[in-house]
Amino acid sequence: MYKTLLLAADGSENSFRAAKESMNFIDENTHVTILNVINADDVKDDVLHNPQSESITTRRKEKLSEIISFYENNGITHDVIFERGVPAETVVSVTNDGDFEALVLGTRGLNNFQEMMLGSVSHKAAKRVKTTVIIVK
Amino acid sequence: MIEKIKTEWLSQPGTNILAGIVVALALIPEAIAFSIIAGVDPMVGLYASFIIAVVISFTGGRPAMISAATGAVALVVTPLMSEHGVEYLLAATILMGIIQIILGIFKVGRLMKFIPNSVMIGFVNALAIMIFMAQIEHIFGISLDTYVYLIITLVIVYLFPRFLKKIPAPLIALVALTAAYLMFDSDLKTVGDLGEIERALPSFFIPDVPFTLETLKIILPFSLSMAVVGLVESLLTARIVDNATDSFSSKNRESRGQGIANFITGFFGGMGGCAMIGQSVINVRSGATTRLSTFTAGVFLMFLIIVLGDWVVQIPMPILAGIMVMVSVGTFDWGSFKYVTKAPRTDAFVMLLTILIVLFTSNLAIGVIVGVVFSALFFATKISRVDVYTEADENSITYHFQGQIFFASIDSMMNQIDFNTRGQNIVLDFSGAHLWDDSAVDAIDTIVKKFEEKANKVYVKQLNADSRKIVKELSQLNEQHLM
Repeated sequence: MYKTLLLAADGSENSFRAAKESMNFIDENTHVTILNVINADDVKDDVLHNPQSESITTRRKEKLSEIISFYENNGITHDVIFERGVPAETVVSVTNDGDFEALVLGTRGLNNFQEMMLGSVSHKAAKRVKTTVIIVK
Repeated sequence: MIEKIKTEWLSQPGTNILAGIVVALALIPEAIAFSIIAGVDPMVGLYASFIIAVVISFTGGRPAMISAATGAVALVVTPLMSEHGVEYLLAATILMGIIQIILGIFKVGRLMKFIPNSVMIGFVNALAIMIFMAQIEHIFGISLDTYVYLIITLVIVYLFPRFLKKIPAPLIALVALTAAYLMFDSDLKTVGDLGEIERALPSFFIPDVPFTLETLKIILPFSLSMAVVGLVESLLTARIVDNATDSFSSKNRESRGQGIANFITGFFGGMGGCAMIGQSVINVRSGATTRLSTFTAGVFLMFLIIVLGDWVVQIPMPILAGIMVMVSVGTFDWGSFKYVTKAPRTDAFVMLLTILIVLFTSNLAIGVIVGVVFSALFFATKISRVDVYTEADENSITYHFQGQIFFASIDSMMNQIDFNTRGQNIVLDFSGAHLWDDSAVDAIDTIVKKFEEKANKVYVKQLNADSRKIVKELSQLNEQHLM
């Protein structure tokens, strides 16, 4: 069982599945860090649909609430970090710079067309992360 | 102070210079295309972008935000340009700057709070639709080659970023396809077909317009619209950059800074501009955090203008049209479709109304103003509704008041009370209400008096602290009534 684990989560169905799957690799001695990357391109939408910056932060936390309460219910210690940047690069650098034994992430919750346009975060992470990478489909 | 200047200019200079260069490259096609929307020589938009970017890097309130010639302002000035010409546009730009400086001094940044999200969403959507519509004449019914170039442009701008992140895809499309056009001599309209271009360094001159009241009458409506549109987009962009970089910025300094930049641009033959959402996002995504990135963008853009100036006339229009299609798709708020079904009815209505007004008047400023007025009216209607529930048992009748009680809501409140009761115990319960002004207090007095005239006993209950205070000060009710 891993002692430290990084879960890259965007709040999608896929990232929740990744969280559930991670239970196979961790126990109550594991500390899970939940990483959410705030992409500059998404900020426009967030600002347009929220009048105050506080409500943006709340909304971002809400997106992860399902995952957070999942770990809470299973008695896993965890913390949440928000990083700003390009998703793939940020996930790679946070994993490599931190002291994590493994990175868990879902394949992104996008359709085929978007996948082709944007490239996939999981693909880049698998290529460039130095530690173990677990990709959950 | 010195410390602040240092962090705002000098932290991570390498990253910021590189980001600025990327932005300059991405700016070229847009500045040319926006000039064409406004109906001016592309140099007017390019000069404006250079001067605005350089000036705002010193005067702006938001480090790492990019300002230049924009579609929003270009769309507003199109009629002025076609009816009166470029000198009037320059004069209007100078006046736009003065208006923005004044608004900045009066701290109009705070007023941004009163522009609701529904209006902001309507604003960006209307902007996107108008940029798109301006391209139609450059796309349809020209030649077969036009469609081919347009489609190749779209393929490049949407597919290339996947493989090549460092160079902006629109610039690749611009260079590669202009070269193709020169080689194959395709049947296309070029920038040069739209009018003469002169290439010279920007120089200082006073716009050649008569300094009369007549001139002021012509330019003032345009200057006001430009100033409003410029500030709305700039302050929205500032909020986006604030959030994307997790830092704060002075909105009032930004308003003044925008004013100074436009004021100076007008004297150097540039059209007005404002902050750009798309370019600022590119800048931040490239890691920019300081004023140096904006400054570099401006200076490097000038360098490119000098180097590439002769080629500008050769650029085929379908390339620019394709890039503008991309810009409009990127500007549009695609969450709006969900918003229309999920947001409160009145918000969705205001959003759609803002778009319709803009499309109908071709003026973004009028759309914003009408949108704000309507949301204020809806808010006033909503807030001026007081609900009164009646509850009766054997010893008393209780009226529960819910809502904001003030001059506008009193009529609706009074109509819900039955004053025909006689010889009863009447309880007025204000636990769900707030009394705001002396009209509200008067109204309570009236209710009490009317009931007492018919031999009822009246008790006033559950006033909150604020309401109790103004009742004490203004009302004729005595302690017997209050419980």
